[in-house]
Amino acid sequence: MSVALRSVAGAERPSITAQGVWHRYGPGRGLEPVSFAWCGPSVAAVTGANGSGKSTLLKVLAGLVAPSGGTATLSIGGSLVPNRARRRCVGYASPDLMFYDELSCAENLAFAGEALGLRDVRRAFTAALDQVGLGRVAEDRPGALSSGMLQRLRLALALLHGPAVLLLDEPTSHMDDEGRDLVARVVERHRRAGLVVIASNDEREWRIAEQRIELRGRGLGGAA
Amino acid sequence: MWRGLLLLWMTVSMVAAFTWAPLVPGLEETTRVLYFHIPAAWLSVVGLGWSMVHSLLYLGRRRIEHDDHAAAAAELGLLFCVVATVSGSVWAKAVWHSYWNWDPRETSIFFILLIYGAYLALRSAIEGEERRARLSAIYSAAAFVTVPFLMFVVPRIYFSLHPDPLINPGGKIEMDPRIRIGFGAMLVGFTGLFAWLLSLRVRLVRLERVQLEAGAVPGGSL
Amino acid sequence: MPSNGSSSAAAVWAVLRKECRSEWRTRYGLNAALLFAVTTLTAVSFAIGRLGNRTDLLAALLWIVLLFAALASLSHAFVREVEGRTLLLLRLVASPAAIATGKLVFNLLFLGVLELVTVPLFLVLMGAPPPRWGAFLGILGLGSIALGGCATLVGAVISQARGRGALYAAVSFPLLLPMLAAAVSGTRAQWEGGPVGSEARLLTAYAAAVVGASLLLYDRLWED
Repeated sequence: MSVALRSVAGAERPSITAQGVWHRYGPGRGLEPVSFAWCGPSVAAVTGANGSGKSTLLKVLAGLVAPSGGTATLSIGGSLVPNRARRRCVGYASPDLMFYDELSCAENLAFAGEALGLRDVRRAFTAALDQVGLGRVAEDRPGALSSGMLQRLRLALALLHGPAVLLLDEPTSHMDDEGRDLVARVVERHRRAGLVVIASNDEREWRIAEQRIELRGRGLGGAA
Repeated sequence: MWRGLLLLWMTVSMVAAFTWAPLVPGLEETTRVLYFHIPAAWLSVVGLGWSMVHSLLYLGRRRIEHDDHAAAAAELGLLFCVVATVSGSVWAKAVWHSYWNWDPRETSIFFILLIYGAYLALRSAIEGEERRARLSAIYSAAAFVTVPFLMFVVPRIYFSLHPDPLINPGGKIEMDPRIRIGFGAMLVGFTGLFAWLLSLRVRLVRLERVQLEAGAVPGGSL
Repeated sequence: MPSNGSSSAAAVWAVLRKECRSEWRTRYGLNAALLFAVTTLTAVSFAIGRLGNRTDLLAALLWIVLLFAALASLSHAFVREVEGRTLLLLRLVASPAAIATGKLVFNLLFLGVLELVTVPLFLVLMGAPPPRWGAFLGILGLGSIALGGCATLVGAVISQARGRGALYAAVSFPLLLPMLAAAVSGTRAQWEGGPVGSEARLLTAYAAAVVGASLLLYDRLWED
């Protein structure tokens, strides 16, 4: 049933290495230099005060932000994934991810699947929606969803292409207990073969992590 | 001290341009605009080129110093561009009896003025240092691509009244050597002035950044 | 699951289809642009009446109407993503070049539909059928590609700036000036029965240069 599970099992040992990665948006805002190496299968956590750069770090790892300095590399099975191919190996979910309101939930995911070049888009998005328990609302507009359900839809997007690495920024925000259990199940399933990175200050979220880095910077972003 | 030398150089060449150099027949006293107008026009082109080259360098290397140069050159270039436009327009009123008539030179300098204006307006509207640098560099690079086309388009549509034919008909050198020396001296002087102002502006931007950084970070670096 | 071959073409196609579907469901952009063009056209026609023999004015007016209709609507493709906060989703699933190419093709289609209504109306109201349709449509088409290419690139840049609506026309204008001059003189030459070859070549080169440069620059459009 689970598309995600199968392809994760096929991917061999993803790992993420960061060397002196820092980013600055402007004076006093950004991510202080950080270095680490994570190898899957595993769960890693990023914690730190507000403004310490947790979300920025996840965006760097997802290839959404080009860091001001340092390198963050992703390899799967020992071979380096080029930046262009990164979006197909990484699933990313964060609370600031929004969907197209002119399209239904299913159409949003179908668009994502087509753009990512998936072969069987329909099967991929049905499986992803079922996995997060949103099968019933597939034809609804994202604007009609509650914030907890929207958070599930974000998770579905991250799982859509069965990525080897899951990057989850505050995955259970706005979620009820059932939602938390769901996230825990997804993480549990994914950690067996892939790498899950959770950025959060909620201990319930990162408790299950085997490795954790704490960002202590105040977001100074490596003064030039 | 080269700033003192620059001052001396500019003073001497300015005095020489007004007293020692003769007038061009047909242009009479308006000849004198040559010593200000052409160097200013030259520097507005140099400023644009300098700004665009540093924009391309920024896109390639992502070093904020290139953005400082691109911005500073654009600001100064705009200044010299306004000087060239206004002096040219006043001169045109005296000689052609019209401040503006879309002569090819007027069209090109107006275009340069527009690019500078748009570039600086865009800069002021983008928040975030890195984003501002990147997006304005992209815009500048796009403008860099379109500039050569203007050189093809303009002569097709307009014909010129500009006085190179009056001063230097058919490419023969008829200009009085004293005018040429005075003009050359002013060109060198203006270029020196531009380089000096540019270095001042770039240093100022850097200092502002250091200060911002120090202000934003209690007990931070500096 | 992810396929590798020709994935960027799939992404461009997906973005284009998504744009068309969103636009079709709301018709917000197209309605506004059509109304704008027709209003301008009516105002021009009402103010000066028929101009069948003033080819110099005809060419200039035609391109001014098209220019303003384009500048009123073409930044919409990017601004919509920023305002709906959906840019993150888009960037997760497609490369910057694929996004921008998809939007460029959409904008060209958009311009095409706009012209399908505006241009015949213009010719009828002004009472000036072009003597040579081939030359007329050729210059119109090439000019539109150049216009669309520039407007898309500047739209992508301006969507990330403050006060984008007010700035868009001013910032696009310097880049559009050479193309506008060539298109006006070509359209005029066509009405006067003169050769349009040099303008057609100029517009082709201009469109190629702008689109080519855009494709290189788009990679740096979104990095934060």
